[in-house]
Order: sequence, then C-alpha cells, then structure tokens
Amino acid sequence: MATLIQQVINGLSLGSVYALIAVGYSLVYSILLFSNFAHGGFLVIGGYICYGTLRTFGTGIWMSGALALAGAGLAAVLTERLAYRPIRERTNVTLYLLIASMGMSIVIENIFVIVAGGRFRALPPVIPTAPVNLMGLATTSAFDLLSLVSAVVFLGALQLFLSKTRWGLAIRAAAYDLRTAGLMGVNVNLLISIVFFVAGALAAVGGIFLSVRYTLYPQLGAITIKAFVAAVIGGLGSLPGAVVGSLILGLAEMLTAGFISSQMRDLVVFSMLVITLLVKPTGLFGKSVSEKV
Amino acid sequence: MSGYTEGILILLCINAIAAMGVSLLTGFTGIFSLGHAAYMALGAYTTAILTVQHGVHWLPAILLGGVVAVAVAYFIGVPTLKLMGDYYAIASIGLGEAIRLILENWQSVTRGARGYPGIDPYTTLPVALAFFVVLAVFMFNIINSRFGRACKACRDDYIASSLLGFHTARIRVLSLMISAFYCGVSGALLGGFLSFIQPVMFDMLKSTELTAVVVFGGLGSMSGSLLGTAVITLVTELFRPISQYRMLIYGAVLVVIMVLRPEGIMGNREFVSWVKAPFRRRA
Amino acid sequence: MKRNMLIGLAVLVVIAGYFMMQQKPAPEAPKETPKQEAPAPKPAEAPKAEEKPAEAPKPAEAPKAEEKPADAPKPAEAPKPEEKPAEPAKTEEPKADAAPVKVGYLAALTGDWAAYGQTEEKTARLAVEQINAKGGVLGRPIELVVYDFRTRAEDAVNAVRRMIEEDKVVAIIGANGSGINIATAPVVNRLGVSQVGTVSTNPLVTVDEKGAVRPYSFRICFTDPYQGKLIAFFAAKELKKMNAAILYDVGNDYSQGLREFFMKSYGEYGGKVVADLGFRGGQDVDFRAQLTEIRDKAADVLVLPNMGKEMALIMKQARELGLNEIVFVGGDGYGEFMWEIAGEAMEGSYWINHVAPEDPAMQPFFAQYKERWNDECKEFVNGVLGYDSVYWVADAIARAGSDDPKAIRDALEATKDLKLHHATITMDPATHNPVDKDGVVLIAKGGKGQFFTKIKP
Repeated sequence: MATLIQQVINGLSLGSVYALIAVGYSLVYSILLFSNFAHGGFLVIGGYICYGTLRTFGTGIWMSGALALAGAGLAAVLTERLAYRPIRERTNVTLYLLIASMGMSIVIENIFVIVAGGRFRALPPVIPTAPVNLMGLATTSAFDLLSLVSAVVFLGALQLFLSKTRWGLAIRAAAYDLRTAGLMGVNVNLLISIVFFVAGALAAVGGIFLSVRYTLYPQLGAITIKAFVAAVIGGLGSLPGAVVGSLILGLAEMLTAGFISSQMRDLVVFSMLVITLLVKPTGLFGKSVSEKV
Repeated sequence: MSGYTEGILILLCINAIAAMGVSLLTGFTGIFSLGHAAYMALGAYTTAILTVQHGVHWLPAILLGGVVAVAVAYFIGVPTLKLMGDYYAIASIGLGEAIRLILENWQSVTRGARGYPGIDPYTTLPVALAFFVVLAVFMFNIINSRFGRACKACRDDYIASSLLGFHTARIRVLSLMISAFYCGVSGALLGGFLSFIQPVMFDMLKSTELTAVVVFGGLGSMSGSLLGTAVITLVTELFRPISQYRMLIYGAVLVVIMVLRPEGIMGNREFVSWVKAPFRRRA
Repeated sequence: MKRNMLIGLAVLVVIAGYFMMQQKPAPEAPKETPKQEAPAPKPAEAPKAEEKPAEAPKPAEAPKAEEKPADAPKPAEAPKPEEKPAEPAKTEEPKADAAPVKVGYLAALTGDWAAYGQTEEKTARLAVEQINAKGGVLGRPIELVVYDFRTRAEDAVNAVRRMIEEDKVVAIIGANGSGINIATAPVVNRLGVSQVGTVSTNPLVTVDEKGAVRPYSFRICFTDPYQGKLIAFFAAKELKKMNAAILYDVGNDYSQGLREFFMKSYGEYGGKVVADLGFRGGQDVDFRAQLTEIRDKAADVLVLPNMGKEMALIMKQARELGLNEIVFVGGDGYGEFMWEIAGEAMEGSYWINHVAPEDPAMQPFFAQYKERWNDECKEFVNGVLGYDSVYWVADAIARAGSDDPKAIRDALEATKDLKLHHATITMDPATHNPVDKDGVVLIAKGGKGQFFTKIKP
C-alpha cells in the first residue's frame, strides 16, 4: 500500500512537469494546428539562461527565473517570426511548418552544443530538494511538491489569462477559427506572437524545473516527446486535456515501472499513444475536427 | 573510384531507396509518417537473422526483410490508417518507437541494444546500385500507373476521390505497404553495408530525416526526393571538416528551404517536366 | 524565374554559411599546429615544459628500452616480409620529412555523447601539441584529423573512410562507443589502418563474433566482461554485500553488456541479484518507480552500470526516497560533474574505474588541461584515455620507425610494458585488449572521487 502511494506521488510530480511542457504544445497547436517540435528547444533556452545568469551574475533564483521566462518567450516569438511566419503566409500546409520546426529544434540544440558545450550541468541548489515525509505514508522531496505547486500556479495563471483578459478571449476565438478571428479584427500576427511567448515562457518554467531535478544539457529537449504524447492523450489543442493527459502519463509510467516491468515503461507510453489515437483520435478533451469538404 | 566515394554512393543508394518509399507515402498519398525507420529496422533485423543464423543467401533474405516490413505495415496500417493528417503522423511516432523498443527488449532474438554483429558485407556498390535502379524504375512506373494517380487523388481530395469510386482506404494501406517494402530493403542493405546493426540506428531521428528529405525535395516529386537525398547526404559530407557546425547547418538548411521554398526543391514536378518546361509554348 | 532566384539564394546562403563556419574555427586551427603561432602559447607552455620531464619523457624513452624485447616476439607472429614492401612505399613520398604524420580522431562532437567527445577532442589536441613541442614523431609533427559522427554508425563509417582515403591518416583513435567501433571495424581492417577505441568496452570491438582477433582494431580500456567481473568481485568480496539490485539502461549497449557480465560473475561469487531493473537513457530522467521497488526488495548494494548523468540522478533520487543504507557501486561512468547533480548523495559510492583522478601521475595532465583550455577536465575517464591513446599511437609510430599503417599496427600489437600516464599497457595479441589492467576503485568522498583501492580478481 505504501508502495502504491509512493508510486502515485512519484507519478503526479513527474506528470506536473510534463504538464508545463504539454500545455505549451497544446496552446500552439490550438492556434496553428501544427506540432511545434522546436518546443523542446525553448525549454533548453530557458534552462541555459537560468543557469548562465545564476552562475555569472549571481542573481537570485527569482531574477534568473524571470529572465529565463522572458528569454525563452522571446526566443519562441523570434522563432515564429523567422521560421514559421513566412511559411504560414505562403501556404496552409502544416507539414512545412512541422519540418521547419524540426529544423529549428536541431539548430537550437546544436547552438548550445557549440556555445555551451555538450557537458551536463547542474543548476546551483536554488530550489530545496530535501526529503519530506508525508504523514508517514510516503517520502518525497520538497522539490516535487514545489514543482507540483508551481505547475498549478502557472497553469492557473494561464487559465485566468485566457478566460479573463481581452487577449485571452482573442486566443480562444482564434483557437476556434483563426481566419474568422482575423476577419473580426483580431490582430492575428500579434496574437500568434503572444501565444508563442506564453508557450515559450511555460516551457522555460519546465526547463528550469527539469534542469534542477535532472541536469541541463543541449539534448534535454528530447524529453518533450513524452509531453507531446501527453498532449495527444489529453487531446491536442485542449489545455485541460494537456494537464490531465500529463498526469495520466506520469502515473502510467510510474505504475508500469513499479509494478509490471521497468523495461516496458516506454512501450506502455507509446502503446497508450497509439491506442488513444485509435479509440478516440481527438484524445480525452480534444475538439473534434471535422474534415472540411 | 576511392572507397570513400564508394561508401558515400552506397549510402546514397540506401537512403534513396528509403526516401522513395517515404515519398510515395508522403508525397503522393499525403500520409505523413514519422516512424519509417522502424520498417528499416524490421528489414535489417530480418535479413541479419536469416543470413547469420539460418544461412540464407543474402538476396532472398533482403527481399524477405522487405516482406516482413510489408506484413507488419499491413497489420499496423489497417487499423491506424483510418487516422487522417497529423494524427497518423503522431501515431506513427508511437508505432516506430514501439517497434524499436521491442527490438531492444527482445534480447533472445535481436540481442538487444548491444546490436547484431557479424552480418556479411553483401552490400557492395553494384548490389546497392542494382537494387536502387530496379526499385527506382519500379517506383516511377507505380507513380505513373493507375494506382499512382489514385494515390494522388486520395492526397488531393480524400472525400471526392472516394465518391468517385476509388477504394481510398485500400489505396492508403497499399501505399504504406509499398513504402514499408522500400524501407525494409533499404534497412537490409544498411545492415549489409555496416555488417552490424543496433536498434539505436533506427530511432526517431532517422525517421524524421527520411521525411525531411522528402519534404525538402518536394512533395509529390519522386525525382525531387532523390535530389533531396543527394543534397542532404552531400551537405553532411561536405561539411564534415567543420564537425561541430555540421548539424547546425543541417538544421538551418531545412529551415531555410522551408522558408524560402516550402514546396521543396522540385515542387510537385518531376525532373523531366522541369527540363522540358522552357521549350513548351506558352499559352 | 522567381523560383530560380530562390534556389540561387538558398545555395548562396549555404555557401556563405560554409565560409562563415570555416572562418570561425580558424582561430582554433592554429591550435593543431602550434608551431606557427608559437610565440603566443609558448610562454604559457614553457613552465609546463619544466614539469613535463616528470612524466612526458616516459612514453618517449620507456619504449626505447623495451623496443628490443618488444621487437623480438614480432617476427615470430607478424609477417615481417610485408614490412619490406612497405618501406619503399614510404620512400615514394619523400616530401615526408616536414610533412605532418596524420592521425585521425573520431569524436562525438554533437548528439548525446557530445560532452565526452568534446573533452576527448581537447585532450587529444593537448597531447598532440605536447608531442609536437618535443619534436613530434619520426622528426615530423603529428596532425590530428578530427571528424564528428553525430553518434550514427553510418556516418562514422564514412568519416573513417574519409580519414583513411582522403586524409591518408596512419592510425585512427576513437570512437567512444562500442557500436560505432564495431561498425567501423570491417572498414579499418579491410583498408589496413589501426583503430584504437578509447572507451569502447564491448569484446566485439577487437574480436569478431567467431572469436578471431580483428587485426587492426585495438582498445586502451578494459572490456565489459572484465569490468563486470571486477564490479561483482568488489561487491561480493570486498564489500561483502550479497543482495544486489541493478538498474541499467536498456537502450545502451555498454550498460546492457556490463549488466550481463556482472550478473554472471556475481552469481559465481555467491551473490544474489534481487532486483534487475531497466530504464531508457536520454528520455527517462525519473527513476523513483524503480528505486521504490529496489527499496521494497531490500537490496543492500545498487549496481549502476551506466553513463554519468543517469547515475547521478538515480543516486539523488534514491536518497530522496529515503534509501539511506544502500551502497552504490558504479562502473567507469563516474564523472566529476555528477557532484553538481547528486551532491551529498554521491558520498560513499564506489566506482570501478580505469583511472583515478587524484593519481599523482595524472596531476600534470589535469594542470595542463586546465591551462590549455581554461576548463576543468570533468569527463576525465574519456579525457585521460583519449590523451593516453594519442601517446600510445605516437609511441607506436616511433617504434614502427615509419608512417606505414601496417608497421604501426605491428608496433601497436607488440606494445609491452608501455608506461602511459594512467597505466602501464601490454597488448594481448590474441584479443588486442590490454592485459591485466588493474581496476581502480574510487570512493566518492568530500566532493571528489578519491582513490580507494586497486583490485584484480
């Protein structure tokens, strides 16, 4: 029983980190209807900015974190301006955007390989990681609780932004129908930039947490494939779906590894992806896309 | 010819065969896959096991490798090809990774991540070239056949073409099976070229590379895919002396091409029509 | 029209990019041939020269003493006559004297192994600079030809062919992965240029699957079976821990091999593997599920046959989960950077390694590395083995007395009691593995890996 509780807590804390990344994916997908594979790159950018400012300027975690969020957000906007907008304006085939995003993820990864080196780096211990005992039932680290809390805070803030502000309204309108939103007088380009900024900043939060818990290295972005799977299970384009999908995935990973076979862990992840797609392609919360005739 | 050039040419043939398969699926049938390296892995492993453990001659073994890939493609394709657009692409990531994970975990047969050594180096330049030529001729015939036109119809308008009486579901599965065969053969040849295979050689990076090459060359242009393969292979070789920057350039080239010319190098036209174009009278 | 312009533009961008990139490494280029820009780095290196006699002459003079005994067995097994036709071949290109002797280095500069490959490249360049500063080999400087292989075997095969046929290297060092070495082995053996694996521990690197030695494949490290045995020996006999848990990387050949051989030997020593668990390197960064199971199975030693990053995470997460008693025993994946990740969780862990970082013989190397690259050599296993591989190959070239790859191969094979920096090496001609290399056990204590003991089962 204690083991089960332990694994559930492990799963939830892993899922919360996935959620931060998956939400960004889903946000971009909901507007532009393409899977942004460069999303992992934003995460890496956020991690390195945080690392760099902490190490060189000795700024506190709040300052460094804010800089990382802003930096990754700007990088995301820049990526969109340079690589995606020209394609978007010329064609509506999302495939080209997909390939461009793959190219961007290779570019970002290798910029860091060259500039920062491939070495694994660890952020200074700015976030406490001491073990915490939960009512004698399970042990977890303070960091896990913190990451769970931050995920809730950031996702809550995002929800507020989307539901209470004018731009949030515009984003929701655009997610419903980008063209019509444009016709209704929404500045589509600005809106897309905002969406990318938000997605990049969320990725940076995930990046900071990942690099504190694990390490920071140029290929860290590869982990986003799991978040991507989570986003699909929850339903691409749906934010609550991304969160729920992430938690489900985190739990599934931990429970499989704990009770069935750790070797089978990833096999379960990818089987879940395929089964979800077969049974309900739109995922748990996805909006149904009807083929336009 | 130096062995270095020979090596590049063999690799070019191997990559081109896989690219042709993916091109039929992505460029002509409009199905976007991110897991085709798995079919290469199936071909490579089948051929390796047949030749090493059962002493089968490499030629039937390679073809059998292709057939195994086709069989798996059939069983995967029938249920999953119902998915349209991005959704199949996502499913294919899962399928590709799952196949690779099975190869890694099924250690009694595949020897797991440590790889499968001791494959006969049967992939010489004449062999690779012969496979390439035969398969290329076959492929160009396919795309100009009734089936090829049906594929294009499916790609351009799935619903209209089914209304016109095309058996669209069957066409999509068939297209996937043919492309799996090409990838299986390509993987089998790769195994013979390296005389050693490991599951990690067929990871998602390889899959995306295959698709990237096809998009790069131009969707719906077989000669474009071949040209794309050549350009990407040559770019990575040309920039070898500046090791660290090589992958950066590779990524940048992908982005730049997509930005400047999203329809790829050749657009959706074949090389022949491109050459003829200036001589055609303008209406 | 517009299309053609666009194509032209794309081509221009590519070409411009090529030249920009070529110019960027240019300031680095002189590093390869420090002679030209000697004034700048020389003063910096001068003090080094004083400390160098302590260690550097060893490879240079030691072999001379051994040359005769080493040569003696050679005619016995190596086909000597073939060396004679090689001699005229050498004189065919008598421009030689000042022309550098080219040595290839296959380094993972991009991709998942970039951290290790980049360190290897730096240490190899350092070694070459030091050797050249002392007059090089055969009176000629060594030139290092470094190619990346983006961790892909097919790319490595092309890189190796290019080194041999375009660059005419006389020997190749690298790569730092067994899979890559196994894939390139047929090529180097067909083309007749030796390849020295730095940390390629799979037995198949130097011996083919039928058990015959690959004539041109060598390694400087010990093998998986040997290291697996060392770990099992240490856990069972030295630590007297009989209930082991193992957590290995399913997707990594090195890890899988080490696990297999550890389990075999551990059983022979009477130990019991109570938990045999896997994970996927690269994507998995969370091991608490496995660790929870290990906790439940009450294992008293956790064997970690992996690369650095994952092990650091495992140890950290194990301690977070309250696994305070379990002893960690790892392989040669130890790296100083792990302290940054795992912190105190590292304390008291043991590492069966090739090299001890605080080995007095290695101190000049670490100092020189820091001076040359303004960086700590944190991935020191790869660094030291890459560094010593260069010295080994240089020594073999000197003993061969020519830059003929065949003669160099024979010299490599005949290596006997060669004193390198991290160890003394004797080649086993039947396997091309170094014979009886001691396993160095490190204990992680006080923020660094300290020498604990040497073991030989």
